[in-house]
Amino acid sequence: MSDGEAVIEAEGLTKVYPAAFRLFGDGGREKLAVDNVTFNVRRGEIFGLLGPNGAGKTTTVKMLSTLLIPTSGKATVLGLDVVRDAGKLRSRINLVSGGERGLYFRLTGRQNLEFFSDMYHVPREEKRRRITNLLEIVGLTEAADVRVEEYSRGMKQRLHLARGLVNEPEVLFLDEPTLGLDPEISRETRALIRHLSEEGVTILLTTHYMFEADELCDRLAIISEGRIKALGSPYSMKEAVRNDSIIEVEARELGEAQRRELADLPGVSAVSVEHLEGRQRARIVVANAPGLIPTVAAMLESRRVISIRVDQPTLEDAYIKLVNGR
Amino acid sequence: MMSVRAMKAALKQQAIHFFVDPQWVIPSIIAPFIFTTVTLFLFRHTGGDLMLYAVLGGGVLGMWGNTIHSSSWSIGYDRMNGTLEAIMVTPAPLSSVVFGRCLWNAFLGLLNALAVFLVAKFAFGIDVTVRDPLGFLVALAATLLSLAVLGMVFGAFYVVTRASSALFQMLEYPIYVLSGAMFPLVVLPEWSRPFSYALPATWGAEALKIASLPGYDPLGLGYMGALGLTALTTLVFLLVSLWLFSFLEGRAKVNGTLVRY
Ligand SMILES: Nc1ncnc2c1ncn2[C@@H]1O[C@H](COP(=O)(O)OP(=O)(O)O)[C@@H](O)[C@H]1O
Ligand SMILES: [Mg+2]
Repeated sequence: MSDGEAVIEAEGLTKVYPAAFRLFGDGGREKLAVDNVTFNVRRGEIFGLLGPNGAGKTTTVKMLSTLLIPTSGKATVLGLDVVRDAGKLRSRINLVSGGERGLYFRLTGRQNLEFFSDMYHVPREEKRRRITNLLEIVGLTEAADVRVEEYSRGMKQRLHLARGLVNEPEVLFLDEPTLGLDPEISRETRALIRHLSEEGVTILLTTHYMFEADELCDRLAIISEGRIKALGSPYSMKEAVRNDSIIEVEARELGEAQRRELADLPGVSAVSVEHLEGRQRARIVVANAPGLIPTVAAMLESRRVISIRVDQPTLEDAYIKLVNGR
Repeated sequence: MMSVRAMKAALKQQAIHFFVDPQWVIPSIIAPFIFTTVTLFLFRHTGGDLMLYAVLGGGVLGMWGNTIHSSSWSIGYDRMNGTLEAIMVTPAPLSSVVFGRCLWNAFLGLLNALAVFLVAKFAFGIDVTVRDPLGFLVALAATLLSLAVLGMVFGAFYVVTRASSALFQMLEYPIYVLSGAMFPLVVLPEWSRPFSYALPATWGAEALKIASLPGYDPLGLGYMGALGLTALTTLVFLLVSLWLFSFLEGRAKVNGTLVRY
């Protein structure tokens, strides 16, 4: 798949949200949400935009799906310009956003799909066939004529996906498709996404879960503060930490001050602190872990350290290094 | 620029919403009903044509109130519900969706007007024979259409902000008065006339009255004249609303205001 043609091409894509107009009070500031982003997605690929909250993932996806006009830069999807050819492009793409909203909850699942099929002028016979088929794929055949307000969280998400498929899009944008879903339903959703990909749909998805990107994506871009920090296959991302090792410290009084101190130590490229029940776990990405242990131990002496050990770097560490590291 | 398929789908959707959610019975059925009853009660000693006038006023008001509420609801609802982007990402023009929904609401207004007539006839014993029944029906349909179009003009603003509803609720009452639905146009002050004349509902109401009240034609338009003006002003508002939709959609896509609720 590595030499497939590019169906999404973003070049220097930038979005500045203008300062909000307010009648009273502070008018708000301009916000640079996406800063000069360049990447390609190839036909048939699952491409991921991975990054923390506020990184600019949604903004990027909206520009590519014709809902937002870029401030500068250029993007084409299926060879069509996302601004100039928006009208033509819309019938060939679709967007599904995670979360509860975005369905008519007073209508049944089937009525929702009918409504959106009509928006795409799907021919009547085809419409009936397609909706039956979609309901089957997402496992909502039984619940098709039940109102959406009675659906569970997972059923709504599956209906969302079905809605995103009513026009048989060639390119599907999925914005945090597993947001807020429990693990079981997330797993089902990922299986469904893989199934779609096998059917030939090109998928661009955003997520802030490293493992999700790792599991699903052929390639991904790590995005933070509106910029792409790294781009490549999940495997190549792991390369970023191949020569590193990890010191993992568990203690009872680790805070942001300690995290910063640790990050400033020589040879350290990133530090993450995870808050667990009654204790914290810091992972220090460093070139030579054993050599640094005495320094770390001395530094954290008064922090009620529980354990210190050396570990192998994981993808999570790579992500943290690429997002926060130097 | 318009999609009939999207309009029909939106009309159907609005109808389903209406039947599923009984709360809409209040603004669309009960409010104009009470309005008419009160008016009839106030006018009960005058008798004759004035009574019919009040019935017509109530009917048109019913339709208008309904349309303005639906326009408040239409895109505002999608914004609240998170479905605005789901529609925007499709090739169907938003204006077609709103128009379809407004048509349903205008149709409801028709049923409303009917209810008002029945109440007037059977509860108040008023003679509601109209002079020219066919002309009356045509004028009624034209008025409904014009109200749907006016609803679209208001609806467009919800694309950029949810703050629209307060504004339109404020506008609702002046329009009752300005359209001459409630009082004859000639009793309104000089300065307000340009506003009245710009409203399609004004001419629709005029055509309705000409068709129903013998000898009524204070402006000397004739039935066809009033109907023509209804059509003309409606067309102007239609163009305005289409322009507004494309302009405001463009603004929303620059400012990122489609999702903020
Ligand atoms: N409509 C908007 N108006 C102004 N600022 C926005 C808007 N949407 C997002 N932002 C800001 O832009 C930045 C990127 O947001 P977003 O693209 O939603 O990030 P992500 O999806 O990665 O969480 C954030 O700082 C966010 O607050
Ligand atoms: Mg987001």
